[in-house]
Amino acid sequence: MKLSWKLFFITTPIFIIFLTVFGSWMIQGQFQNRLDQEMNQCMVENQMFQNSFELTWNSLSQEQKEQTSIRRLVDSFHRKSGRESSARVLDGEGAVLYQDGGTVITHDIIERMDDSHNMGYGIFQEAGKMYAVVVGRTSFDTYIETTKDISAVFDSRSDMYSTYQTGMLMLSVLVGCVIWLIMFFVMRNMQKLSGATRQFARGKYDVRVHIRSGDEIGMLADDFNWMANEMNLQMERLQDEVKRQEEFTAAFAHELKTPLTSIIGYADTIRQMELSPEETDMCADYIYRQGKRLQSLSYKLLEMTMAGKQEIAWKEIHVPSLLQEVKKTVETVFSEHQITLQAEAREGVIYGDRDLLGSLFINLADNARKASEPGQTVTLVGEPVSGGYLIRVSDNGKGIPKEELSRITEAFYMVDKSRSRKEGGAGLGLALCRKIIDLHQGGWQIESEPGRGTTVSVLFGTPAHAGRERRRSRRAKQRKENAG
Amino acid sequence: MIKILIVEDEEPIANLIRMNLVKAGYQCETVFDGEAAADMIEKNLYDLILLDIMLPKLNGYEVLEYARSVDIPVIFLTAMGDTQQKVKGLKLGAEDYIAKPFEIAELLARVETVLRRYRKTERRLRILDIEIDTDSHTVTKSGSPVELTTKEYDLLLLFLRNKNRALYRETIYENVWGGEYSGTGRTVDLHVQRMKKKLGLEEHIVAIYKVGYRLVV
Repeated sequence: MKLSWKLFFITTPIFIIFLTVFGSWMIQGQFQNRLDQEMNQCMVENQMFQNSFELTWNSLSQEQKEQTSIRRLVDSFHRKSGRESSARVLDGEGAVLYQDGGTVITHDIIERMDDSHNMGYGIFQEAGKMYAVVVGRTSFDTYIETTKDISAVFDSRSDMYSTYQTGMLMLSVLVGCVIWLIMFFVMRNMQKLSGATRQFARGKYDVRVHIRSGDEIGMLADDFNWMANEMNLQMERLQDEVKRQEEFTAAFAHELKTPLTSIIGYADTIRQMELSPEETDMCADYIYRQGKRLQSLSYKLLEMTMAGKQEIAWKEIHVPSLLQEVKKTVETVFSEHQITLQAEAREGVIYGDRDLLGSLFINLADNARKASEPGQTVTLVGEPVSGGYLIRVSDNGKGIPKEELSRITEAFYMVDKSRSRKEGGAGLGLALCRKIIDLHQGGWQIESEPGRGTTVSVLFGTPAHAGRERRRSRRAKQRKENAG
Repeated sequence: MIKILIVEDEEPIANLIRMNLVKAGYQCETVFDGEAAADMIEKNLYDLILLDIMLPKLNGYEVLEYARSVDIPVIFLTAMGDTQQKVKGLKLGAEDYIAKPFEIAELLARVETVLRRYRKTERRLRILDIEIDTDSHTVTKSGSPVELTTKEYDLLLLFLRNKNRALYRETIYENVWGGEYSGTGRTVDLHVQRMKKKLGLEEHIVAIYKVGYRLVV
């Protein structure tokens, strides 16, 4: 069952029950009020009758008392006409001494009256009418009974009940309609929302709900939109990731197949044809070089994978000695190409993995060398800056065209393919560098102007866990000193 | 003489193709990027272009359209096993494709096929006293016709196209029968023997121990 119907079937009966109870209570209260008034009036009348009777009786002399009849006595003060009530006078044994006509009700009030009470009353039904009967006892042991038709009070109560019932019926219908309408409007938003959810699930990812309302449903709609946006972003990210992965795979296949083609082709040529010794040499040379290229590719890939998986051991690294180490590693290759390498670093430390950082700067220095002409200089400069340490690798070489700058960190991307091939590059150097820098939570910037040279600036901050590491080592040192 | 333009940015591969095509008797020129290729196509007349797809400056597809405009057949070279790329190349009007890495025999066979389709090769091949009409698939020896089965005919063509080149049994099998060579079975040897006998080539088709055969002329 739909929620709107559930709410409708719950709310409407509750409303009706509440109205019924309240209405009955009101009607009953009013009825009781009127009945009490009537009864009071009856009693007052009875009292007045009794007073008049006693007064008249007492005013008579003994002789007169014997001579006159009760009827005459009563007639002298009691005017029957214009009265709603009828009266009777009874003696102690229940014999009727006076009766002014009207309805006679059989009742047991006299029997129920005891000595302490001089008055009794009751309500009785006779021939479909309701009568109030009041009995008073006079001081000389006669009973005065007054009877009044109070059907009007009861009739008015049943009238009110029936009116109220009709009203209730109409009100219930009205209330039902109103509740249903309210539910409809509330549920319309819910339906909008659930429709949108269904569409979203079916793959229509640009669907959004437009509900302008500050209530929970409005909030739910906002949450839905928020979730949809987040999901879209996430999907875009995943798609980008997949696309990058595909591009990487395609580039990787290309990089793998190109040297393989040469190796297989030249080997095939050697085994199938009778070649001159020079030709054989050339083929063998190609096979060797392309084999080397495959080797370098596999090494670089391995390094990348390692860098990708490695958990860094955060160690304090003295920058001047790190740069000297880098210089020592690449010096031979530099001098082979007649390129000077200068390394100067001010005192300072960075935090991270020594091998990875060494590999990073060797790669950057090597890139700078490849871009330089014989006779030019490559510089490695390190200096502490506020909030970290900055290391710059600069050359005065050929530079990188502006439109290529954004792509150079992509794996297998090469600005000058034939040249970097000759240098034995696999196109993975900068991709590896980016990975290492990311791993060390560092930042970098590549500035380049074609023909003027390139500067790569790498900034190392002081990572949180590096700080912890430093404090820990300091504390350990202190402890050692204390112990010593 | 048939002129072939090789467009390939990888120098070792370009050199490899040129070396083998020259030995097979074609005249070759090589260029290393798309722009140079377009220039060469404009200046010279070629019978066939071997075209790499991933090229600097102009990519292979653009060069392909350029070549189609002057009606030169193109075989493209692709490093991708990607079907989409092959389909795209063929749809753009390439005659055939060669996937890297490739074997030399395959390269020569595909070049030959495309050239024949364009009737750039001679319809009549001649070797010693044997004449082959590639149109009617007939073979004559000293003027009298020789009956050859389809496989024997294909074998003969393969040897002709690879004169003085050692043909491995697997190469022969893959080119004539198609499919993977299992390494066992004497199918290749039986057919070569019969073909040799029918054409009297016993002295010219020599067996190479443990390898295969070579046509020596």
